[in-house]
Amino acid sequence: MLFLPNLRRWRHVLPGIALLGLAGCNLIEFSPNDHRVPEEFTNLTEKNLAKLQARPLAPGDSLRFIFTGDSQQFYDEAEALVASVNQQPGISFLVLAGDISDFGLAREMQWMDEKLRRLTVPYVTVIGNHDLVGNGRPTYQHIFGAFNYSFVYGNTKFIMVDTNGREYNFDGTAPDMAWLKPQLANFDGARRQVVISHVPPTNDDFDPALRTPYVQALHEAPNLVFEMNGHNHSYSITQPYNDGVTYVNSDAFSERRYLVVTVWGDKQFRIKRVKF
Amino acid sequence: MKELLFSALLLVAGVPAFATPPDTAAVRIPPAARRVERPWYRPAHLALQTGGGLGMVAAGAGYEFSKTHLETDILIGYVPKYYAGSTLSLASLKFMYSPFHLPVGDKFQVVPLTVGAYFSYTHGTINDELKGQYASDYYWFSTDTRYGPLLGSRVTFLAPPVAATGQPRKISLYYELGSNDLYLASYLNNRNGGLGFGQLLTLALGIKADF
Repeated sequence: MLFLPNLRRWRHVLPGIALLGLAGCNLIEFSPNDHRVPEEFTNLTEKNLAKLQARPLAPGDSLRFIFTGDSQQFYDEAEALVASVNQQPGISFLVLAGDISDFGLAREMQWMDEKLRRLTVPYVTVIGNHDLVGNGRPTYQHIFGAFNYSFVYGNTKFIMVDTNGREYNFDGTAPDMAWLKPQLANFDGARRQVVISHVPPTNDDFDPALRTPYVQALHEAPNLVFEMNGHNHSYSITQPYNDGVTYVNSDAFSERRYLVVTVWGDKQFRIKRVKF
Repeated sequence: MKELLFSALLLVAGVPAFATPPDTAAVRIPPAARRVERPWYRPAHLALQTGGGLGMVAAGAGYEFSKTHLETDILIGYVPKYYAGSTLSLASLKFMYSPFHLPVGDKFQVVPLTVGAYFSYTHGTINDELKGQYASDYYWFSTDTRYGPLLGSRVTFLAPPVAATGQPRKISLYYELGSNDLYLASYLNNRNGGLGFGQLLTLALGIKADF
């Protein structure tokens, strides 16, 4: 009763404040490490794979996709990359080989998705070491999805695996060989396989105890086209273990280059480097 | 009726704080005589806020200097596991400067501009750097320590002073727009507009009680 006149005075202001409050909900950040994002930025792997499966490759067509990595903090470059990729004909999807974020933060992942969702094709990711910093683990899981997953598209089985051993203190869990081996043993209806991870086995950040088992498992894979990585920020295509397994490293966003990868036949491929 | 109630309240409070003293009863005990000297360590206010990167809820106390133009708040914040994957507790220190205090009527005051900075330390992140996990310059940033600028304003209700001590009381509602070092670094690394300034902002809403 005592405060009634004041409340009346505020009557016209309150709806405005309420409106600001609604707009402010997304601004109210509990911590940079919290992973609350609008629903449209969650489960992106599942959503993008559904988009991909909705546009199947015609039988007999070569599979063509974009391969790149390490988008972390390069938002200017992401815009230019999207504009360039959208000019490429016959592309099915884009693969981002980890380090989507720089600090494992939800906002960074959302910012990058806001750029990449402007691609005319879907994109998929594999987790990078920077995505595991701080509370990046639950954040990546919430925004993208599983750390280890596979999918089949255009006769190719893509096996996406977390190889960021250093982030787990080389505790023998990354790469998860118990998951990877059966994935490699099984084609799931495809005729060839591609393994994609962030840290290459040649790198010091790969769990040294798992290097040999990993390389061996890829060598024994029934029809592996190649193994692809990010992390190094420099393009290379090599057979470092002289075992017939080809390892492809991507250019990072910072290098303003990406790869156009075409796969056909049993396990034939062609890689074109594009500057943007 | 309202006048009566107000007078009654002033009587209870024992201090003729705002209106001209309406009667002798209210001035029977001079406020100066009742006012107790504050020990130096006694905070000037308690604060409770949400957001601003300092917790889903953050509570604490603060001190005032330079005739309330300068303040420092110490807050302890909490983020439940549900929102961050692990339970986070944050210790934060805020420094604020409010150059103007504008009276609005007898009972309100508007502080149109508060500028400041904060520093926070987060405990409980999952992949906290372990000794020897990384080379010293592997990541160029800390996962636990954040700092950033603040900009806000507030509305203050001037309540009757504390009866026992004669200390003035205020209740303030405030908001603060802020950012942090990581977001600002991302912004500065994208000079061609890759990030909009609005994408860096965080909002805190809070209440502060001076007593």
